[in-house]
Amino acid sequence: MRPSRRLDPLWMLGPTVALLVLFFFVPLLQAAKSSFYDWDLLTPPRYVGLDNYRALIETGELRHALTTTLTLSVIVVLGSMSLGLALALGLNRPGRFAAFVRSAVFSAYVVSWVSVALLWLWVLDADAGAFTALCRALGIPTTNWLGNPRAALYALAGVTIWKIAGYSMVLFIAGLQDIPRSLYEAASLDGAGAWQRFVNVTWPLLRPTAAFVGTTSLIISFQVFDVVRVMTQGGPVRSTSVFVYAIYEQVFLNLRVGRASALVVVFFVMLLGLTALQLWAWRKKGAA
Amino acid sequence: MKLGRRAFLAAGAAVACSSAGPPPGRKVAPLWFTYGGKNRQVLEALVRSFNQSQGEHWIKPVYQGDYFEGLAKLRTALAARRAPALSHVVGEVVPYLADADVLESLDTYPGARELDVVPALGQAGSWIGGAERRLVALPFNRSTPIAYLNGRIFAEQKLAAPKTWEELRAVAARLTERAAGRVVRYGFGCPIDWWFWAALVGQAGGDVVEADGSVSLGGDAGARALDFWKTLVLEDGNMKPPPGRDYNAWEQTNQDFLASRVAMIWTSTAFLKYLEENAPFPVVAAPLPGATRRAVPTGGTHWVMLRSAPEAEKATAWAFLRFMHETENAVTWATSTGYLPVTRSAVAKLEGDGYYAKHPNDRVALDQLAVARPWPWSRDLFRVQREIVQPRLEGAVLGGRDTRAALDEARALARRWR
Repeated sequence: MRPSRRLDPLWMLGPTVALLVLFFFVPLLQAAKSSFYDWDLLTPPRYVGLDNYRALIETGELRHALTTTLTLSVIVVLGSMSLGLALALGLNRPGRFAAFVRSAVFSAYVVSWVSVALLWLWVLDADAGAFTALCRALGIPTTNWLGNPRAALYALAGVTIWKIAGYSMVLFIAGLQDIPRSLYEAASLDGAGAWQRFVNVTWPLLRPTAAFVGTTSLIISFQVFDVVRVMTQGGPVRSTSVFVYAIYEQVFLNLRVGRASALVVVFFVMLLGLTALQLWAWRKKGAA
Repeated sequence: MKLGRRAFLAAGAAVACSSAGPPPGRKVAPLWFTYGGKNRQVLEALVRSFNQSQGEHWIKPVYQGDYFEGLAKLRTALAARRAPALSHVVGEVVPYLADADVLESLDTYPGARELDVVPALGQAGSWIGGAERRLVALPFNRSTPIAYLNGRIFAEQKLAAPKTWEELRAVAARLTERAAGRVVRYGFGCPIDWWFWAALVGQAGGDVVEADGSVSLGGDAGARALDFWKTLVLEDGNMKPPPGRDYNAWEQTNQDFLASRVAMIWTSTAFLKYLEENAPFPVVAAPLPGATRRAVPTGGTHWVMLRSAPEAEKATAWAFLRFMHETENAVTWATSTGYLPVTRSAVAKLEGDGYYAKHPNDRVALDQLAVARPWPWSRDLFRVQREIVQPRLEGAVLGGRDTRAALDEARALARRWR
C-alpha cells in the first residue's frame, strides 16, 4: 500500500531535524574546523593543520584525559550497578521502613550536582570531615581525600556513585518486581538456595535492566563536570581532569579554542566508537 | 561628598534592592565586574555614588563571576562585538589583551597619564617597561600576599610573626597540634598556587621571569622555594595545602583560618576586611618573611576600557575612572575592602588622618610595596603559569615529584613555547 501523504513524515520530523542540525551538527562541524586553527577568540584564527592534535598527544594531555575519564567511568559504572543492585535486593520488600530507606537513597539522585559536591567537600575534609572521622573510628587509614593526587579521582568516583546509586536501585527494583514469583518457587522446589536462585533466576532476568543501568551510568560518568568543577578543579596535579573538564579548562581558562575543539572531536569519536561497540554487542546478542 | 563606611554599605544595599534604571538623558555604560560578597557591595555603593554625583553619565554594573569566568565572558563578548565599555582584569592578561589590540589607549584621554597613581601599582610600576607602552590599564583592586596570624593563638604561645624562612618553619612547628596521631591544627596554611610560589622565589633571590621575558623560573631560587614548601608539607607536616585549585583553594584556606584549623596563613590582602570581620579571634596581619631578601609580587586587577565599545559609553567609562581615582573614593575602596589605596593622595590622606595608626593591619601590604617585584610584559605569561608551571608545582608538593626534574621540564616547555 502506498501512503497517500508521503511528505507528512518529513515535515513532522522537520523541527527535530532542524534542532539537531542547528544545535548538534553545525556546532560539531564548527568544532572540527576550529580544531585545525590556533584561535583565542580575540585575534584572527591561524591555520595550524594537525598541530592541536599533535600537541594533545605530545604533552600527554590526551592520554591523561582518556585514562582519567575511563578510570572514573569504570569505577562509577561498576560501583553504581553493584550498590544499586545490592540496595534493590535488600529493599525490594513491603513495609514503611523499606519505603523510607528507598526514598532516602533515591533522594540523592534528585539533589543538584553542585549541592552534592558542596556537601561532600565538607564530608571529605581531611581533618574535620565526617567520612574521615568514620574511617578513623574504624581504624582505616585516612588521607587528604581531595588533596592527594592518588586518592582524589577515587573520591570523586565515590561521590558520583553515591549520587546515582539510588537511580540504579529504582531501576533494579522495577526489574526485580517483573520477575514472576513462580520461578523462585520452582527453583526452591528444585532445592536451589538463595545464591543459586540469584545466579540462575534473578540475574539472567535482570540482564536487560542491568544493560540499561550500565549504559545510563556510563553516559552520566562521561558527563561528570560539576563535581570536578566544585570539588577539585581538575587537580591536584590534574589527577581529576576528566575529558569534559579538560575541554572547559582549555577554552575558558587557557583561552585555546583550537585545542579545546580538538579534544571535543576526539571525545566525539570515542563516544561514537563506544556506541558502535554497544550496538554491535546488542545485535550480536539479538542474532544469537 | 563624604560618606561613612556604614552609610556607604547601606547605599549599596539600597542599590541592590532597587531596580531603578538610569534617568532619561543619561549616557549609560556597562561595567563588568568579577567579585561577589563584600567587595561587590562596596563597588556597587561606589557606582551608586557616582551615578548620583552628576547628571550626565550612568554606570550599569554587571556581575560576571570570578576573574577567569569574567575574562572568558569578556573574550566572548569581544568576539561577538558586544564588549562592555569598562571592565577589570588580572594583571597577567593585560599584555595579552593589549597585544590583541582590544584595549582602548587611555593616552587619548586628558589627564590619564597624570593620574596620581601609586607607582608600584600602576602600569608603569607593575610591568617592566610599562611606562614606555601605550597606557591601557589603571589600577583598581591591587594587592600583595600577606601573612594572617590568629592573634589569640600567637598570644597564648607568646610567638611573633616569622621574619625568615627558618622562623616560619619553627613557628609552624610550634603552632601545629596533633592528637591521636592526627593534626588538629596546622601551624601554617597556603594554597599551592603560582602567586605564592613567585613570592618565595623572589625571597630566595630569583625572578620567575627575567626582564627580557625568558622564563627562568628563578633557577636555583625557584628550586629552593619549591623545596621549602615540600619541607613544610611533606617532611614536617606542619603546612596544610588546601584541596582544590585557583580561588577555590584560596577560599578553603580562609575557611581553615577562620575555623582555627590553621593558625597562620598566606593569602591576599584582599581578604583583610573579610577575615577581620568574620574571625572569632583578633586577626594580625604581617609582612611575608624573607630568605636572602624580602620580596612580594603584586596581584589583583586593573581597569581596562574596551576599544570596540561605542564612543559615548567610553566617555562615561572614563568619567567613572576619574571618579574612582578621586582621593575620597580611592580611600573608601581601600578601607572598606583591604585592597591597596591606588593613589598617592589617598595614601597621604590615610596617613594624615591617622588611619594606619588605628588599623595597622591595613599598613602591611602598603609597606610591602617597597619590595614588590614587577612582572615582565609577556603575552604568554598567564598561559605558562596555568598550563606549564602550576601543575608541576602541585606535582612536586602534593605528588612528591623531584623538584629539579619538575622545574627543568617546565623551563624546557616554556622555552619551546617562545
